[in-house]
Amino acid sequence: MTKPTVVVVGADKGGVGKTTVARTLLDYFTAHHVPTRAFDTESPKGTLQRFHPDISDVVDVTSVSDQMRIFDTLSTTDASVTVIDVRAGLLSPTLRSLRDIGFLEAVKKGQLTFVVFHILGSSIASLNEIEDTSTFTTDGKYYLVKNFINNTSFFEWDQPTYASYFKKFKDAVEITIPKLNEMAYEQVELASVPFLTFVANKGLKGEAANYSFVLRGYVRHWLGNVWGEYDRIKLNDIVASGGTAAGGPRVQVVRSAQ
Amino acid sequence: MPQQVPLYIIASPRPRVGKTLIARLLIEFIRASDRALIGYDLEPREPALAGHFPDLVSTVDIADTRGQMALFDRLITSPPCTTIIDLGYGPFDKFFAVMTEIGFVQAARRRLIEPIVLFVSDPAPATVRSYAELRRQLGTTTVVPVHNESVSVMFTKADFPPTRAEYGVIRIPRLSPIVRGVIDRPSFSFGAYMTERQGGPTEIHGWIATIFAEFRELELRLLMGKLGAALGGNAATPAGDLRTAR
Repeated sequence: MTKPTVVVVGADKGGVGKTTVARTLLDYFTAHHVPTRAFDTESPKGTLQRFHPDISDVVDVTSVSDQMRIFDTLSTTDASVTVIDVRAGLLSPTLRSLRDIGFLEAVKKGQLTFVVFHILGSSIASLNEIEDTSTFTTDGKYYLVKNFINNTSFFEWDQPTYASYFKKFKDAVEITIPKLNEMAYEQVELASVPFLTFVANKGLKGEAANYSFVLRGYVRHWLGNVWGEYDRIKLNDIVASGGTAAGGPRVQVVRSAQ
Repeated sequence: MPQQVPLYIIASPRPRVGKTLIARLLIEFIRASDRALIGYDLEPREPALAGHFPDLVSTVDIADTRGQMALFDRLITSPPCTTIIDLGYGPFDKFFAVMTEIGFVQAARRRLIEPIVLFVSDPAPATVRSYAELRRQLGTTTVVPVHNESVSVMFTKADFPPTRAEYGVIRIPRLSPIVRGVIDRPSFSFGAYMTERQGGPTEIHGWIATIFAEFRELELRLLMGKLGAALGGNAATPAGDLRTAR
């Protein structure tokens, strides 16, 4: 049996594209036929849940009862992958909770696979989160996702600053994902369906839709690039083999544009 | 073999090489055989083609996403019919970049629409490079060079190899400057001029007849190329190097 995998997508800063990345991950696992469930911690409403209602629940990750819903069921659920979209400001507290409940210890013992996608904003405060967050993920896979939502450069123009954050991780690998066409992004928002469903010109219940061919083309092209990055870090192998996929450093940098 | 309809894209990265004139001629050639036809003028600042055919040609600005949707969504969702796009040099790069990114050619072929690029050549090195780059970018999409002798007498075949050797080159003969003014009149119709023949055949009659014959041959060559490809015969031989074929 495949080891359960927990994928945490989060940031302490808001508006950096956490849910967008989580949605691309759910689409990726769907396309690879990986049984997946998701938890949206944006309680009470939940953006992720709006796009993936069939496989996601809204939870309050700070409450013990909801922590039990997520982590006590890891070995009994049919889903081999659990994706948690952690809302702004809760990444560090969530990781601390995982340490406190013994989750990180189980990861260390090889009982679970743990993957963190840390979405970065273009501020020093956001970059300062890296060191703090990385201390909780020594036994998991930790990816730094550079979100170029505003065409930011993450201080690449200032090499000392850039190096102080990104180059301290010797094995860090950067991946660039192009920006999604704004109108295409908004059309998917309006449709409230997964990216993959939008590309297939379907509604949430599988009914035929009438989305723009051009906008579907833009989304397909962009999603293909995002998945190309996940393939590059061998994400499917990581979840299939329980984190023992060959290749790749422990810390990697993923760039995202939306 | 299912019946496909052509989508002619008349293109060049350079201004004033006769794209609109060729689009006008092609429209009138297709109209002469009573085939359903629609046109798009992608030069919103100076929509010359739309000026000649206001009831047939729509002007679209593909600089933004909304304009791209107005063009490509309509091409895909409308009932297939022969379509002519007059692609100005301004949106040249944008058009092919969007077309490639959204996977237009594959979707069009599923709807039995066959994109065919008629690339109007000129001897500038940048144009030669642009042609080679376009061929690489478009892969299997049919690209046929057009030699407009009014732009340049010289035409180096090796610089503009068509997608398949048998597609050849469309030659637009030079017209004497005196009669050029006649065909540039907004109300001038090549088809009507051919049928009227007042005062016997003129230089323009011969010129139009030659070009229409070029178009007829192109249609035939495209058809033969498809048949050959479908049958796996010699006609499907790709034109990797025109020098060996012509």
